[in-house]
Amino acid sequence: MSAASSQVVQAKQKRPFYFLKWAKSRKGQQTIIIVAFMFIPLLLLFTFTYFPFAEMFKFSFYKMKYIGPRKFVGLDNYIQVFKRDDCFGALKLSFYYIGGAMVQLVIALYLATMLSFKVKGGNIFKGFMFFPYLISGIAIGFIFKFFYTRGFVFDTVLQWCGFELENLPYWLKDQRINNISLVATSVWRYFGQNMVLFIGAIMSVDAELYEAAELDGANKFQQFRFIILPSIKTIVTLNVILSITGSLSAFEPPYVITSGANGTGTYFVIMNDIAHVSQKVGLASSMAIVLLFIIFVATVLQKLFFKYVMRDEEDENKRAGFRREKSLVRYRKKRGA
Amino acid sequence: MKLKRVLALSMAAVLTLSMVGCGSGSNESTAVNTNEEAAQVPAEATDDAAEETATGEKAAVDGLNYVDIVLGESYTDITTTIKWISHRTDLIESGAMDTYIEKFNEMYPNITVEVEGVTNYADDALLRLTSGDWGDIMMIPAVDKNLLSEYFVPYGDLDSMKEVVRFVDQWMYDNTVYGVASTGNAQGIVYNKAVFEKAGITAIPKTPEEFIAALQAIKDKTDAIPLYTNYAAGWTMGAWDAYINGSATGSGKYMNQELLHTKDPFKDYGDDTHAYAVYKILYDAVANGLTEEDYTTTDWEGCKGMINGGQIGCMVLGSWAYSQMVDAGENGDDIGYMSFPITVNGKQYASAGPDYNYGINVNASNDNKAAAMVFVKWMTEESGFAFNEGGVPIDMDGEYPELYSAFEGIEFVADEPAVAGEEDILNELNAESELNINSGGDTKVQAIIEHAANGDKTFDEIMNEWNEAWTGAQETAGVEVTN
Repeated sequence: MSAASSQVVQAKQKRPFYFLKWAKSRKGQQTIIIVAFMFIPLLLLFTFTYFPFAEMFKFSFYKMKYIGPRKFVGLDNYIQVFKRDDCFGALKLSFYYIGGAMVQLVIALYLATMLSFKVKGGNIFKGFMFFPYLISGIAIGFIFKFFYTRGFVFDTVLQWCGFELENLPYWLKDQRINNISLVATSVWRYFGQNMVLFIGAIMSVDAELYEAAELDGANKFQQFRFIILPSIKTIVTLNVILSITGSLSAFEPPYVITSGANGTGTYFVIMNDIAHVSQKVGLASSMAIVLLFIIFVATVLQKLFFKYVMRDEEDENKRAGFRREKSLVRYRKKRGA
Repeated sequence: MKLKRVLALSMAAVLTLSMVGCGSGSNESTAVNTNEEAAQVPAEATDDAAEETATGEKAAVDGLNYVDIVLGESYTDITTTIKWISHRTDLIESGAMDTYIEKFNEMYPNITVEVEGVTNYADDALLRLTSGDWGDIMMIPAVDKNLLSEYFVPYGDLDSMKEVVRFVDQWMYDNTVYGVASTGNAQGIVYNKAVFEKAGITAIPKTPEEFIAALQAIKDKTDAIPLYTNYAAGWTMGAWDAYINGSATGSGKYMNQELLHTKDPFKDYGDDTHAYAVYKILYDAVANGLTEEDYTTTDWEGCKGMINGGQIGCMVLGSWAYSQMVDAGENGDDIGYMSFPITVNGKQYASAGPDYNYGINVNASNDNKAAAMVFVKWMTEESGFAFNEGGVPIDMDGEYPELYSAFEGIEFVADEPAVAGEEDILNELNAESELNINSGGDTKVQAIIEHAANGDKTFDEIMNEWNEAWTGAQETAGVEVTN
């Protein structure tokens, strides 16, 4: 008590401020820790994320190589991004990857639902299907390079199934299907991870609901449609958003398997080429900024879309509740009367 | 433990300090060197210090000159140990290097040569060079030419050196030569003789038409893939750029001097020469189905065994690839090397260039400098190193290895350096046009194959695009266009 009161007295007397003393005091320590907890993460975030980003933003207005003189060119780089047909042409490939992402989500959701019910050897299946996610993307690239080689793994398997080699396409050479081949590798890699996320979400659904539904005579599909899907809506939304953003910035499969040649160069591969082979750092930076905005817009649009879809249902529910209450009130009135 | 830590720390401190020294300028590092030497060889300290001030003159005064050295007679009285850092770790491990040195010691028993192999040579050598701690002979890494005299002993002036040694202008500055190449590479085509024979090709094709006809014959008469593109590896495609200079024009000035100022360098010259003809061979071969079926899944490691076993007719690769193809299987004798099928005004040329060059430490003692130069001359003239490596001989009188038997009457053309003040223009044009000739422009050559296979663009359309890109780059860079 006395110490506290003396502190008060000190404060009142406005004694000179001793930093060391203050730092050792309880209050000082509190402040220091609070500031440190706030400041250190912010500092790291700033140095490793925002500062490099700001630098890149600055680069996008210059004509420059990694070393050597830089020349300010204003919006020239941005104009070029929109003028060059290889930049936005490459973005068209993203539709392949978005399509793949949708297929991947459907497969993952289907398998997750299956596996969340009682299945023999369910955990082994989960393990097998999650396994590709653990392999490094580079290794997957090499696996599929051989997988798709003419007369190698894939063709052999198809021949077992009765296909003739002459009727099979060249999986990586034919420009009509080579992007699909590449997307398939990415689906193969990520559907297991999506599936595990979905299983996690489905596990949180109250098992009594299934029982009740079964008593009401609902079949498995109806259980999925009316119990599981509404309960895991949030995680589905999240996965869709992540998949689409990921599709816009697809890089590994084309870079490793085809090195972006033969019409498989996605936006990132083209950007990498421009930045590292031709060393047009300014142009590549502005490409990155443009892509960032595209991703922003895509994300916002998706959010709005899902918000719209969800609000609709909630509104319905709200109205339903409102109506129910109203009728209850009416009922009570009747009874009361 | 503590002592170790202190030692490690002080080592680190010393290392960083010395690095700081090199960063701030090469003058300082040479100064550090003299001090070190002064400590080691007190007697010679004054000599060395004097030498620092006027290295070039001193060498000339001493009469240390590559051309004047007579092996077996000059400098036989020197007893010393010289140290050589080399990039050929493979030869050091296999003991081949020791054999060379033993032979050298038969002629010069008093000069001991120590070799140190460096695995990551290009980077490490540069560091060692700036630190000054590297011995007497090194394979010259990528240094700026105006710094050559600070690090290396001049071998002599350009005119006299040109008479006895090939590829002297690689490390030439101010008409003084600072490097002698260890061996040389030429640009041609690796092919399987047995496959060519089976296809009934007796004379080596000299023009693009003859070459395409030969490929067609291979396709018709054998099961082999006539021309394997190695599309998927990427860099093997960029390697086609190495043929557009000497091989396609016969001029050593083309790459670094003429190309910069040429208007539309990819146009059809009408006589099957220049870049147009080089890339057209590739386009035509693919368009006519004379390459592998599925170019997207070619396998670089696998192709070596395939050409050795006769499943591939030929591949467009530098002469360095020859020995790899020979070693890849049992039929090494079948592998041959021929020149690129372009004839300029009735004569065939082959682009050629030096491998790593020997450089001698300018800070070494006089005895070591002389001993080192004797050794370099011996390696060039007597050792048969370039011959054993399957390279173009560096010694003007040297013998060509067997693989160049098909190169008789073909002139080797090495790239001449850029004109003073224009050294950076090629890089700038390359980046600006995104064609990246001879500097990683793999995708543009890959695109030729894609368009040829899909038939969605004619060859002339591709070349027109390249010309446009090049012209645009010339305009941006403000380069004067002459013709």
